Amino acid sequence: MSSRQRVQQWATFARQWHIFDCKWQNPYESAIAIVKHLKGLHKPIYHPMNDCGDHVICINTKEIALPGNEWTKRAYFHHTGYPGGASWTLAWELHSKDPVMIMKKAIYRRLGNNLQRRYTMQRLHLFPDDNVPKELIENVTSQIRQLRVVPQRIDHIEKDVIDNYPKIMDYPTDYLPKTLK
Amino acid sequence: MNNLIKTIFQRSFALNFPFIRSITSTPANRIKQIELHQENDTLTVKGKIVDSGRESLLLPEVTECKNKGVRFCPECSLNLHLKHTDVLILSQYIRKDGCMLPRRVTGLCKRQQRKIGTLVTMAHKAGLLHGYKPSWCTKLPNQRYKHKKFNTYFFENTIKLPKAHYKQNEPCK
Ligand SMILES: [Zn+2]
Repeated sequence: MSSRQRVQQWATFARQWHIFDCKWQNPYESAIAIVKHLKGLHKPIYHPMNDCGDHVICINTKEIALPGNEWTKRAYFHHTGYPGGASWTLAWELHSKDPVMIMKKAIYRRLGNNLQRRYTMQRLHLFPDDNVPKELIENVTSQIRQLRVVPQRIDHIEKDVIDNYPKIMDYPTDYLPKTLK
Repeated sequence: MNNLIKTIFQRSFALNFPFIRSITSTPANRIKQIELHQENDTLTVKGKIVDSGRESLLLPEVTECKNKGVRFCPECSLNLHLKHTDVLILSQYIRKDGCMLPRRVTGLCKRQQRKIGTLVTMAHKAGLLHGYKPSWCTKLPNQRYKHKKFNTYFFENTIKLPKAHYKQNEPCK
């Protein structure tokens, strides 16, 4: 075995570390991309019995985005086991209590119900902001591409850019700006 | 008598200028800026046309439509499908406090006025037009109440519009 093949062997069977920025991402859409890397489905050597899954670090889970009115319409069910112990928590309530939970539940659901699910979840590292411990971040070698374009707030765009942007509307000559209070 | 007129003037100016109409001598009763000067007992009202600063940056298609006297809409004239994240374009159609401008100012057709109005609402809800809001509102998008503080995005195909009543090659109304 040549030295090149030896390194290729290590690289094939070593666990890779990926990072994913959840800013303005839909948790249910991004779960598909994350689960692919967690299970190792993107590798040519993949087999369900072959333990080839990777680690994924998800940062900024506090800034995930949901479409339309899903923050108030999506409910998370929990039952304590006692009579009358059922509870439904809305997505925005759950997210204000734990900014990691929605992302975690989305990925957990996406993994499917099998015995490997708990072990695969141990390879997932979720952080509400971008403060990742140094011993984790130094392992990272690749980044999972974001699925949605992060929109830019107008007050974060520089004034020069706003002023010199091509205009498609000009005020009529008889326009009087409303006196604002 | 002079003092009485002055007080009436001052009061009426405080209440949304109902006297403006009666004292203009030109057919246009809306001018860009109204300046009030007080010197001893005389109150001078000046209507000053102010340059908007947009003239030089206008798209050539817009000036072309203006010269022809045709309506200009981003979607009907340029086939430009706007999204609610295009804040640099949407901010041209709104007032400083974030309100959509009326159709006689924007010059859009009825459908596009409705659509862009909805896009502006979406951008506001997503917190992308921060800064274009009433002066008493000081909250950042992530400080808003309950579910409103979290990031939300919208789909443009959920905007419900009435059917277009004109044919495909006709200009929009
Ligand atoms: Zn139109």
